[in-house]
Amino acid sequence: MKKRQLLMQLAALAVCIALGAVMMIIGRGHTVYLDNKTLEDYQGQTYKAAHKIVVTVDGKELTKLGPRERGMSPCIGQSFKMSLEITQEKGGEPETRVIQLDLPYGMDGIIVNLPALLAGLPEEAWMSEFIPAPEPEEPDEEVPGEGDEFDIGGDLGLDDGLDIGGEM
Amino acid sequence: MKMKKNLFGQSSDFLQNNLVPIMFIIICIICYPLAGFSPSYLLNEIVTRMGRNIFLILSLLIPIMAGMGLNFGMTLGAMAGQIALIFVTDWQIWGIPGVVLAMLLSIPFSVLLGMMCGKLMNMAKGREMILGYMMNYFVGGLYQLVVLFIMGPIIPIKHASIRLPRGYGIRTTVNLTSLRQCLDNEFAILYKGVKIPVLTFIIIGALCLFILWFRRTKLGQDMRAVGQDMEVARAAGIKVERTRIIAIIMSTVFAGFGQIIYLQNIGNFPTCTAHTQIGMFCIAALLVGGASVEKASIGNVFLGVILFHTMFILAPRAGAAITGDAMIGEYFRVFVSYGVITLALIMYETKKRRAKSQGGQLLAQAQREGGVRS
Repeated sequence: MKKRQLLMQLAALAVCIALGAVMMIIGRGHTVYLDNKTLEDYQGQTYKAAHKIVVTVDGKELTKLGPRERGMSPCIGQSFKMSLEITQEKGGEPETRVIQLDLPYGMDGIIVNLPALLAGLPEEAWMSEFIPAPEPEEPDEEVPGEGDEFDIGGDLGLDDGLDIGGEM
Repeated sequence: MKMKKNLFGQSSDFLQNNLVPIMFIIICIICYPLAGFSPSYLLNEIVTRMGRNIFLILSLLIPIMAGMGLNFGMTLGAMAGQIALIFVTDWQIWGIPGVVLAMLLSIPFSVLLGMMCGKLMNMAKGREMILGYMMNYFVGGLYQLVVLFIMGPIIPIKHASIRLPRGYGIRTTVNLTSLRQCLDNEFAILYKGVKIPVLTFIIIGALCLFILWFRRTKLGQDMRAVGQDMEVARAAGIKVERTRIIAIIMSTVFAGFGQIIYLQNIGNFPTCTAHTQIGMFCIAALLVGGASVEKASIGNVFLGVILFHTMFILAPRAGAAITGDAMIGEYFRVFVSYGVITLALIMYETKKRRAKSQGGQLLAQAQREGGVRS
């Protein structure tokens, strides 16, 4: 009876761990930054930004990107699917492409260079990590529990230490 | 004549047993026209607060069943939930998977804290409520030590967005934008300006069904037996101490889940203070619903949340309408929420003493009658 109970407990623990692992994979959040920016001098070649790219994610139009513009989309999971309507030149015919990307687990913010991606270049050419600019020095946040509770300040009136006067 | 007396007695009993809910119904009826809210606005607010709070309040039912009174120690579960949410935010797990992961992560912390709380409560039988209340302060200090000093240097915290600028410790507010209302918005129905968070209500319904089922299980029956009389339960072969510890662990785990549901609705939480008032407000809501220290039902939870939060919504506006100052209403609702806990505790103690003295009188009478016969 005890053995069966132990087995049940271990099975429950295993289910919880497995469920947690699945949640960590399917729930990993990323922010995908989409750049319509000319990629210069990649192996001696330049990949020009398109005149206009309309990005659609989950059936909703996310953004319209002109040259040197950036769009942003939050994404949950390890894969990101988008539909791009690309107009290379002004007045040109738009071309629609559906693209699915596998996102690296370790990156929070991912920059995707669309001209390089559309040109079929390797991943290192079109994907890079978004590193936020260092924050300016902030004043320290007030930490609860620091200082005296009664807001007396200073050294709680013990200027002279615990000297009670007189000589020992 | 006898019939009239019976009716009078019955209505007097009804009034006595439901004094608090009746008082709140009257307050709400008076405040509603003064506040001037539209019915759809009021209903929307009540439904939102029901989704936010009911799970937390349901966590109080199991210890009451086991005769341990109102579990002020539920705050420990809330702290466990918050620690889990800090990890989930740092690991960037978003949406419903983030909530599920936070719930899973909170379980070991809740079990550990619940076990400690239960063991201490077994050492102080009959004084569980005050012990639970003091445990909040004690474990609260430990929680602050963990989130302000241990998180960073010992427990790795990667994200600068939640870490204090000094390099260790968690910021005063944790932003839960990536989890915000993810449960409430899933399958939500908008009906005449009232948003019904269907998934949250399904989860609450599941817990209600679990509690109903649990009462009929062997462990549930044991808890009820322990709640009625510990000595009789012990004589019947029930492991009283173990049963009581399990009741507190279950309550703490559910409180952890409840806090996660509550905070995903709010969308952020003050790291060091989010849990402090939770126990008090949940207990007040349960008592407003007509529960007592020794008896509470799912119906009391629902009625309590509706009445307590209706007053919460109406009182500031009604206060502003009457006195020109919304703070008056605010003071009033604080006064009422703490007052109702005090009243419930006094009523419980009075009832207990009355029952004891009646028992004593009956015993004395039986002894006298026995003496006359002999």
